[in-house]
Amino acid sequence: MKVSLQLVGNCQSSFDVSRFNADTISGLTDKIAAQLGAVDAVTDLAQKYQDSLVVKVVSCEKHPSADKLHVCKIDDGGKFENIDRDENGFVQIVCGAPNVREGLSVVWLPPGVIVPSSMDKDPFKLEAREIRGVISNGMLASASELGLSEDHTGILEVDDDIAKGSNFSEQYRLNDFIIDIENKMFTHRPDCFGHLGVSRELAGIYGQSFKSPDWYREDPGSLTVTGQPLELKITNNLTKEVPRFAAVTIANITIKPSSVQIQAYLSRLGIRPINNVVDLTNLYMVITGQPLHAYDYDKVSQLTNGQGASLSVRYPKDGEKITLLGGKEVKPSSKTIMIATDSQAIGVGGVMGGSETEVDDQTKNIILECATFNMYSIRRTSMELGVFTEAVTRFTKGQSPRQNLAVLKKVSEEICQASGGNIASDVIDDNKDLPTPPTVKLSAGFINERLGSNYSPDDIAQVLMNVEFEVTIQNDDLIVVAPFWRTDIEIPEDIIEEVGRLRGFDSLPQSLPIRSIKPAAKDPLLSLKQEIRFQLSKLGANEVLTYSFVHGDLLDRMSQDKKNAFQITNALSPNLQYYRTSLLPSLLEKVHPNIKSGYDEFGLFELNPVHNKLAIEQSSQVPIEAQHLGFVFAANSKTAKSQYEGASYYQAKQYLSTLMFSLGVSAMVEGISDPNEIPPDLKDVVAPFEPSRLSGVILPSGDLIGFIGEFKPSVKKALKLPDFVCGFEIDLGKLIGASPSRPIYQKLSKYPFVEQDICFKVANNMSYQAIIDLVWNEFSNVEGGVVLRGITLVDIYQRPDDIDHKQVTIRISAINYERTMTDAEITLLLDQLSSVAKDKLNAERI
Amino acid sequence: MDYQNPDVAKVAELLKSRLNDLSNKADILRAVELKALFEGIKLLPPEQRGAYGKEVNNLQNELKGLVAASEDVQVSLLPIDLSAPFDVNVSPSKRPHFISNNLGSIHPLMKELETILDIFYRMGFSAVESRQLDDDYHMFESLNFPEDHPARDDYDTFMTTEGLIAPAQTSTMQNRILQMHKDNLENGLPIATVIPGRVFRNEDLDARHEHTFYQIEGIYVAKGVNVGNLIATLQTFLQEYYGKQLEVKTQPYYFPFTEPSFEFALSCPFCEKKGCNICSMTGWIELLGCGMIHPNVLKEAGIDPNIYTGFAWGVGLDRLVMMKYDIEDVRYSESGRLDFLRQFS
Repeated sequence: MKVSLQLVGNCQSSFDVSRFNADTISGLTDKIAAQLGAVDAVTDLAQKYQDSLVVKVVSCEKHPSADKLHVCKIDDGGKFENIDRDENGFVQIVCGAPNVREGLSVVWLPPGVIVPSSMDKDPFKLEAREIRGVISNGMLASASELGLSEDHTGILEVDDDIAKGSNFSEQYRLNDFIIDIENKMFTHRPDCFGHLGVSRELAGIYGQSFKSPDWYREDPGSLTVTGQPLELKITNNLTKEVPRFAAVTIANITIKPSSVQIQAYLSRLGIRPINNVVDLTNLYMVITGQPLHAYDYDKVSQLTNGQGASLSVRYPKDGEKITLLGGKEVKPSSKTIMIATDSQAIGVGGVMGGSETEVDDQTKNIILECATFNMYSIRRTSMELGVFTEAVTRFTKGQSPRQNLAVLKKVSEEICQASGGNIASDVIDDNKDLPTPPTVKLSAGFINERLGSNYSPDDIAQVLMNVEFEVTIQNDDLIVVAPFWRTDIEIPEDIIEEVGRLRGFDSLPQSLPIRSIKPAAKDPLLSLKQEIRFQLSKLGANEVLTYSFVHGDLLDRMSQDKKNAFQITNALSPNLQYYRTSLLPSLLEKVHPNIKSGYDEFGLFELNPVHNKLAIEQSSQVPIEAQHLGFVFAANSKTAKSQYEGASYYQAKQYLSTLMFSLGVSAMVEGISDPNEIPPDLKDVVAPFEPSRLSGVILPSGDLIGFIGEFKPSVKKALKLPDFVCGFEIDLGKLIGASPSRPIYQKLSKYPFVEQDICFKVANNMSYQAIIDLVWNEFSNVEGGVVLRGITLVDIYQRPDDIDHKQVTIRISAINYERTMTDAEITLLLDQLSSVAKDKLNAERI
Repeated sequence: MDYQNPDVAKVAELLKSRLNDLSNKADILRAVELKALFEGIKLLPPEQRGAYGKEVNNLQNELKGLVAASEDVQVSLLPIDLSAPFDVNVSPSKRPHFISNNLGSIHPLMKELETILDIFYRMGFSAVESRQLDDDYHMFESLNFPEDHPARDDYDTFMTTEGLIAPAQTSTMQNRILQMHKDNLENGLPIATVIPGRVFRNEDLDARHEHTFYQIEGIYVAKGVNVGNLIATLQTFLQEYYGKQLEVKTQPYYFPFTEPSFEFALSCPFCEKKGCNICSMTGWIELLGCGMIHPNVLKEAGIDPNIYTGFAWGVGLDRLVMMKYDIEDVRYSESGRLDFLRQFS
C-alpha cells in the first residue's frame, strides 16, 4: 500500500506532515514499522521536482528554420540563477509542443535538472543547447515528462493563478514522501487500504485523537436531484454475496482531464489519470479504501429494454463472455458476480467493468456505483480470471458495507463540481440486513495478562478512542464498539492487538516464562538421525539433502511404480512432479555429477521421509511418513581398480554393519528368499537393486527394514553410474526409540587368551554365516571354563582350478577362565570342531 | 498396458512382438512405426493432440521399460556369498574399507539444526519433526484460515491430485502438538515444543529463492503467557545462539493463526549494528515471524483460550546458515555437490 504523506495530511489537519523532511522522515517510518507494518520503501518525491518551476510564456514565435518549433521567452520572476537572460530578464526556450502559446502558465525544467520521468530509469540531465541554430535553456515539460501521466501530446498547462517562479512541487504538493507499507500487514485491515485509515492509525500511534471528516459517516444525508431525472433500476439477485449495492445517476457532465492537482495525487501513487470522472472514483478509493465504478448511462440505457437504465446483479448465463476494460475477453465461471443490464453482462462485480459501457470522451451522463462484495467470492473470481486490480486488492480485505453512502455522496458531489453535472436520481440503495457492529466486552486485566502490561481502564479507553472506537468503562470492564469501518474487530484478542500496537509492543515489560524443572523429552527420531549423521560422517560419508520431489521418468527408470507416488498437480517443472517413494534414486542421481567433477570415491547419505500411496495412516488418513536412511557408495573405475577387489556389495555392507554396530542394533543382512514376502510399499524401495546382489536388512524381531546391494544394469546405464557402486536404504521406523542393545560384558580372566587360525574347504555356495554359526554353536558346548572371544575372517581363497570350492580361513580367539590355555588344548578343540564341520557342512580342514 | 487409440494399440502389439527377435533390444526405440506415431501428433486437430500424444508417450515409456528389463536379464552376475564380509580372493589391502574420516561431513543445515535443538532442549522445549505431506485441515483450516480466505494467497502451496498439501510452513504441526500435549496444561506444565522440518513454496528458483527449505517452529502455551514472554524468549534464544547480547524489535504483522502477530528483528550480530552486507547496511536482520496463538487455534485443539494463552514462532534455517557462512546461493543446499558439502567436514 503506497501512502502519500501529503494525502495523509489532507485527511488530518492536526497531523503536521510538513515537519518531515529527508532528515527526519526515518523517525516516522521507524514508528510506522514498529506500530503499523513493515515499510518496504520510502520515496522522496521533492527531490524529483527540486528545480521544476512554474513560469509564464511571455512570447511565442515561430522558429526561423523549423516548421513545428516555436521560440519562446519565459518569465520565472528571475528565480533561477546562473542562466542567460534577455534585456527583460526572460529566458529563451525552444518548444515543439502544439499547445504552446503566449500567456500560458507552464512548468520549466531548467538546464542542469534531471527530467523527472527519467529519474528512476535512465536519468536524463538537461542542458542549454542549440536547436536548429537557436539556444534553448532547458525545456517546457509535458505531464508525461513530469511523470504525472502518459500524456505527451503537449506541455502541461498549470493553473493560471500560480505565481511565476514558484516551485512546481510545492504548488501541487509534490514535496511529498511516498511510503510503501507491506500489504500483508493489512490483510485484515480494509480501512488501511485508504489514506483515511492510515492517517487515523498514525494519529493513534502518536497518541493523538483522530476525527474522521464530517462527510465520512454512516448516514451522510441525501443528495438533491436537480433537472431532468435519469431513471435507474437496480435488481440485486445475490444479496448474500453482494451485501450492499448503491448507485446514483449524474447528468450533463463534460468529460475532460482532471485538475493538475488530482492528476498529481493519483500519479504519485501509481494510478494513471484518465478523466475527471474516473480519476475522482480512484482518488476516493485511495482515500477511503472503497472502490467505485462509473458506467456511461446512455450506453447502459441502450442495452436496457424499455425506458431508462437498469442494472442487475446475477450469476453468468451459460457460456456468457464479457470484454473487460482494456479489451481482455473472459469467460467467467458459474459463481462469478456479474453486473448486467437485462440484455447482457456489462461488468464483473468488484473486479473490473466491461469495455462496452465505459466512460469515454463523449459521455454525457453516468451511473456511479458504490457496492460491497464478498471477499471470498472476489478472491476466487480474481484467481480464476487472472485479473488483479486495485479494486480486487481492496474488496478482498472485506470493505465495510456501511461506508458506501458516505463515499457515494461525496464522490457524486465532487464529480458534479469537476464536470459541471447534476445529480439525476436519488441514491438507490439495496441494503438488506447489514451486520451490526459487534460489541466486545473485556476487562483491563484480560488485556494486561496477555500483554504483560499494567494499563488502567482509562489508559486503554483513551488509546481506543483516539482511533474512534466507542468505549464505556464499567468498573474494571471495558465495553468496546468498533467504528463502522473496522470489519476486522470481532473478539477480545482483536482489541488486545489494537492496544498493544498503538502503545508499542516493544515498550512492554519483558520476562521469560517461568517453568518447572521437569526435563524436556528428547525426540527419539531426531536423536536417532543425529546419531546416524555423526556415525556415517565419521566413516567419511557426506550427508546430502535432495528434493522430496522427483521426475516421473526417474521413477520409471528405477522400475518404481509411478502409480504409488503422490503426484503434484501444480509442479514447477516435470523434475518435481512426484513425491519420491524411496531415497536411493535421488542419491544415485548425484553420483555421476560428482564423479564428473573429479571426486574419485565417496559415500553419500540422506535422512528424509518418503511417501507411498499404499501406506496411509489408518486413524488420520494422511500418508505415512516413512523415515528413511539412504546410502550410496561409488568409486570411479580408476579408484575402484586400485583400491577395491571383488563385488562392490561388500563395501555397502561394511558401512551398514559398522553403522548398525555403533547404533547398538544387531541387524542381520540376509538374502531374500521369497520376493513375494516384501511388503507392498517396500517393493518400490527394492526396485532399483540387482536381485542377484541384494540382501534384506532384518532386525532380530524378524522385521524386514530395508535392503542393501548393487543396482540393476538398467539403473546404472540410465544414471551413468560407475561400475563400482552400491548402497542401502532402510526404514528407521522400527529403530526409533528401540533401546540399543548393551555391550555384553565378560569378566576379565587372570589367564591370557590364545588365537589360532583354521581353514575349511567348503562348497563354493556354502555361506560364511553357516560356518561361523557352527563355530559359535560348538564352542557354547565346550565345558571347563573355555569361552570363545571372537571369530575373525582371515581370507577366502578360491583355487583357479577348482571353482566349485573355496577355502575359508578364520581366526579363533578363545580364553580359559580356570587356567592358562595350552596350544594342545586349543588344537584339540579345533580338531573336534573340524570333525563336526565335516559332518554338518561337508567341510574339509586344510 | 491397454491403448485406446487403435493406431497406437496396433503399433504396440507389433513392436512388442518384434522385440523378442531383436539382438539389440534398444533398437526398438528407433522403430519407424514409433516415429510415425510421433509425427502423427501434429497432423491432428489441436483438441485431439493431447490425448493421442499421451498415449504415444505411454507406449514409448512402456517400450523403454521393456528394453531396460531385458538389459537386466541379459547380464548375469556371478553369485556371491551375501553373508560374508568380503569377496573371494581379495587381497587384504583391497577389502572393503572406509574413506578418510576427514572427508566425511554433516550437512550444514542439519549441523545448525542440532545446535539450535540443543539450545531449545536446554530451555525446556521438546522437539518433533514436521510432516512433509499433509492435509488441508492441518495446513490451513485448523490454523484459522477458512476456505477461500485471501490470506491463503500468501502461501503458494504445492498440491497433490488427492488434494494433499506440501506444507508451506511448519505450523502445519501446531494443531497436532497442541492436541498431543494438552494434558500438560492440566498438570500445571506448559506445552513447549519446537518443530523443525522441511517446507515447500511454489516459487521459481534463483540464488535467493528455494522451493524447498527448512523452518523451525516453536510453541509455548501455559497460564498467563504474554507478549513480553514471547519477546524475551526469542531474545534469549538468539543471544544464546549468537553468543552475545543483542537488541530485538518487533513489527506488527498479519498471520491468521496469531493475534497479535509480529515480524521479529535482531540487531545484526555480524557487524554490531554498524551496517554490513549481511544486514543490507541497516544494522537489523528481520529473522522470524511470531505472535500470540489465536484463540481459534487453541479452541480447535480443545484448549480453553480464556484460561491458557501462548505464543508461536517460525524461523528459517537456511537463512541462518547462509548468513553464518556467507553462502552466496541458496540452491547449493540441495545440490548434492561435494564441492559444497566437503567444506563442512
